[in-house]
Amino acid sequence: MTHEDYKELLAAKALTALDAADARALTTHLEGCADCQSEMVELSEAAALLAYQAEPLEPSTKVREQILASVRAEVQTASRSDRVSPGVSQRDRNVLSFERPARNIWSSLGSFGALAATLAFVALIIGLAVLWQKNRTMQSELARLKAEMKQTQTQRDRERAMGELLTSPDGHMAKLAGTNVAPGAQAMLAYDKSGHAMLMAKGLPSAPEGMAYQLWYIKDNKKMPGKVFTPDAAGNGMLEDQIPAVARDAAVFAITLEPKSGVQVPTGSIYLLSSS
Amino acid sequence: MSLGVQLESAERSDVELLHAVARGDEAALARLYDAYRVILFGLLVRILNSREEAEDILQDVFIQVWRRAKDFDEKRGRPFTWLVTLARSRAIDRLRQLGARQRLATGAAQEHTEMVSDALSDTIRVAQRETVQQALAELPEEQRNTLVLAYFDGLTQSEIAAKLNAPLGTIKTRMRSGMIKLRALFGKQLENFG
Repeated sequence: MTHEDYKELLAAKALTALDAADARALTTHLEGCADCQSEMVELSEAAALLAYQAEPLEPSTKVREQILASVRAEVQTASRSDRVSPGVSQRDRNVLSFERPARNIWSSLGSFGALAATLAFVALIIGLAVLWQKNRTMQSELARLKAEMKQTQTQRDRERAMGELLTSPDGHMAKLAGTNVAPGAQAMLAYDKSGHAMLMAKGLPSAPEGMAYQLWYIKDNKKMPGKVFTPDAAGNGMLEDQIPAVARDAAVFAITLEPKSGVQVPTGSIYLLSSS
Repeated sequence: MSLGVQLESAERSDVELLHAVARGDEAALARLYDAYRVILFGLLVRILNSREEAEDILQDVFIQVWRRAKDFDEKRGRPFTWLVTLARSRAIDRLRQLGARQRLATGAAQEHTEMVSDALSDTIRVAQRETVQQALAELPEEQRNTLVLAYFDGLTQSEIAAKLNAPLGTIKTRMRSGMIKLRALFGKQLENFG
């Protein structure tokens, strides 16, 4: 394709009307062509104004309330996560300070007689034992908090990555609904033109021992295996995967319960399914 | 104050609001929502033909605005364009998932229409709407139909060609010619607002 050929595609891209192959080709060209980028901005501005052609309508008041409630929940989650750090520092300081009383007791040993020295020694041993136990408890608590922080951070990183996928110009989203074996389950799969995909699922039943949920890409009745994941105790699960090139357009996505190592051909029940 | 000055002032204000949202200002998000909910919801209902689906997407759009406001770059377009592009992209994804089923459900979405009461917003919106309608009216019918099928029905060029039983090359030409003409007409008429 020549530069002029790509320019011919810009108007259709502004209207999101390009067919998949043209869209992929133009996205690559746009990354390195300032001239096309500039025209793309102008055409997008014009396309956006077409929104005024639609009749203005008032949404119900609950939408505003729900948006603000979601945002507040995110803020609270973030601030809880931020508050963990000072607490951990304090615990660190506590752990390191336990040697001081030991030194004080040893330094006073010479001022008393043998009995006093023995009592002091016993007291020291008891004190050290108590402090050692306390130290172990704190170390354990510290490890737990660090793991929790890491998990929270990972969750936030994944949510951020999913948000980036959804808002990228070539981002797509597919919703998966629970089937009759998991009517309360739902999931969202976001992916881009490169096939980079992220799945967020909720409401899934716990996977039995040795089992996990596996993602499938279905195109023309051909079932291509994706990765496996295990939901947490609340039934939430996340997964990052690469969609096979052949399955990126008009594919159906499904999630089945399979052996934990994953299988090449689905054997279990379908728990979540996208519309075709 | 002229309408043109009001529009320019509103856009400056929107950029500031988006910057405030990026800093975590919930009130700024609420103001953006209040400013654009009516036009965006109207657009979403027109595309999806369902108030319920449109409210779902509208909520999703503003949560994305909250998370992604820091990515907004005013050099790459106006806040309005950013919001409309985000909303339309989500709606068309949903439409393509729903398929033809949703497209048949015409009319039901219009039952509970409530118009907004803010006089200044109404004035700006009515003026913008008239501009867009005038511009569209100046296009040849086949170009106008092609743009509407793409913009509001979410059809690709191939799908439009099949629907209109026209060669794909013809659809591509109509779409590009129509958009270039619209861009020129919008530019000219928006200048006249001042």
